[in-house]
Amino acid sequence: MNQDFDRQAFDRLAAEWRYVITDMICRAKSGHLGGALSLVEIVLTLYWRIMRVDPKAPKWKDRDRLVLSKGHAAPVLYVALAYQGFFPKSWLKTLNEDGTRLPSHADARFVPGVDMTTGSLGQGLSCAAGAALAARMDDGDHTVFCIIGDGESDEGQNWEAAMFAAHHGLDNLVAVTDYNRLQIDGFTEEVMGLEPLADKWRAFGWQVFEMDGHDWEDIYTTIREAQAVKGRPAMILAHTIKGKGNLAVEGRPESHNIKVPDAEAYAKYMGALVERDFELPYC
Amino acid sequence: MALHDNEMRAVYGMTLNQLMDENRNVVCLEADLSKASGTNPRVVEAHPDNFVNAGVAEADMIGVAAGLASEGKIPFCASFTCFASRRVYDQVTISVAYANLNVKVVGTAPGVTAGPNGGTHMSFQDLAIMRVMPNMHVYSPCDVYELRAVLRHMAAAIQPTYMQLIRPKVPAVFDESYTFDPESAVRVSRGDDITLVSTGYMTHFARHAVEQLAGQGVSVDHLHYPSVKPFDAATLVESAARTDGVVTVENQNILGGLGGAVCEILSEQRPTRVKRLGVPDQFGEVASEEYLFEKHGFGVRHIVQACRELAGKV
Repeated sequence: MNQDFDRQAFDRLAAEWRYVITDMICRAKSGHLGGALSLVEIVLTLYWRIMRVDPKAPKWKDRDRLVLSKGHAAPVLYVALAYQGFFPKSWLKTLNEDGTRLPSHADARFVPGVDMTTGSLGQGLSCAAGAALAARMDDGDHTVFCIIGDGESDEGQNWEAAMFAAHHGLDNLVAVTDYNRLQIDGFTEEVMGLEPLADKWRAFGWQVFEMDGHDWEDIYTTIREAQAVKGRPAMILAHTIKGKGNLAVEGRPESHNIKVPDAEAYAKYMGALVERDFELPYC
Repeated sequence: MALHDNEMRAVYGMTLNQLMDENRNVVCLEADLSKASGTNPRVVEAHPDNFVNAGVAEADMIGVAAGLASEGKIPFCASFTCFASRRVYDQVTISVAYANLNVKVVGTAPGVTAGPNGGTHMSFQDLAIMRVMPNMHVYSPCDVYELRAVLRHMAAAIQPTYMQLIRPKVPAVFDESYTFDPESAVRVSRGDDITLVSTGYMTHFARHAVEQLAGQGVSVDHLHYPSVKPFDAATLVESAARTDGVVTVENQNILGGLGGAVCEILSEQRPTRVKRLGVPDQFGEVASEEYLFEKHGFGVRHIVQACRELAGKV
């Protein structure tokens, strides 16, 4: 469902998503807020301006795929899919409830529109490479997108997948690193240094791009350039801010997984949103 | 040349080629052990577009297979049992079984058949650790006829599966008429004094033991389980009720695999004396099969002895 770009409308929608995501996680009493908020503009751009999808046909063969390898950021994907119409927005308030269809980590078994079940870090890029290989075997012309975390990049399997995708020249694979520079135990460069990250991906045979992961035009033009690369996979290092738009967590290591034990904490996180004059779509 | 004149791995490659001839969605994945698995040059030459080498990167091979399966492909991923099971345990658990994707994992050179590669490569735990994984089926065919039938079933069934693949030539237990049903044990021979349960590589040794026991006046109900999961409990319970004693033998640790499955079922459904033969919770080592059978007590003579003791016919 590609829409014409209207900056004001997109800004407003992104702010609404941050409001909804924060509410979902607060209702669940805990969750991975920071890494979901850092991806809002990227996921919104993918589903509203880039990806070929049909909410009425979630398994449509010619659709573009998205593997959210950092599966703990599922709330941003669930919001995107609900707002696209893959399932009712009322589901969103059930995040992590007993018997829910929306578990904390992205789940293709229960959620229409989720293309791959993820959650154990480091596995999604291999799965995306497999999906891209299948597309090539079947002469498909769609793109397989994959979003990995920067902390997740510590996992060695990413680099196995990096070799594989380059070796097989999977130019229908476009990966994005959510480079917010924070992981659970602290700053990425302190826990396990990634730099020079762009050089690493280049050395592995990928075409590397960098973008401001919160700038609408930069996101759109960079992803389109990455899709146009021939003969090799593309990696976009998206410079983002973890917890973006919620001042209780923005840029802070503790944003990774927040605990919301009571009404006071709920009020703190909702009150710290930069924009909060929204109606929840499920109350 | 009869099918059983071939090595098991040759039949693996030949059968994959036949499956690919019938269905272009069947894909063969390897992690730099394609010659050892029997798919190189067979599959490489016959179906180059359906052959994918992931290099020495088993975790990536499983992930790629999951991605292929999510798109309707039917990937068969082979490596030595140690790498196809324990090395990729989380990848198989999450990207395959939990995600419920139609990936076939093939562990080659199971147990003592890893001989010269020794302790690092000799896995006695794969049946156990794969069996406790929800959604997984776990198979261990004993000869070429069963292997071929199992592979045909795997290609047709949408079902995450782990299968042990013996590589060398092994004596035929069955013939061209063999059909595979994962829900059914195969009664290799009928008897009333003792139940003998075997799977995979140990079944032809168990059959020799049954022949010797027959000469000694011991009548054995020999059940072969090509599928350790699902497990045909009814046949076991019916047999145990007649014989009142069960011996299990497997090319595995006695903990958690075939013997474990038998004990779980009998203790709940028909408490029966059981003797488990296999490796008593130890790692492998560089050694001949005969040495390992003697050391751990699960060769033909140990099967004979255990059956006689439990049958009270010493």
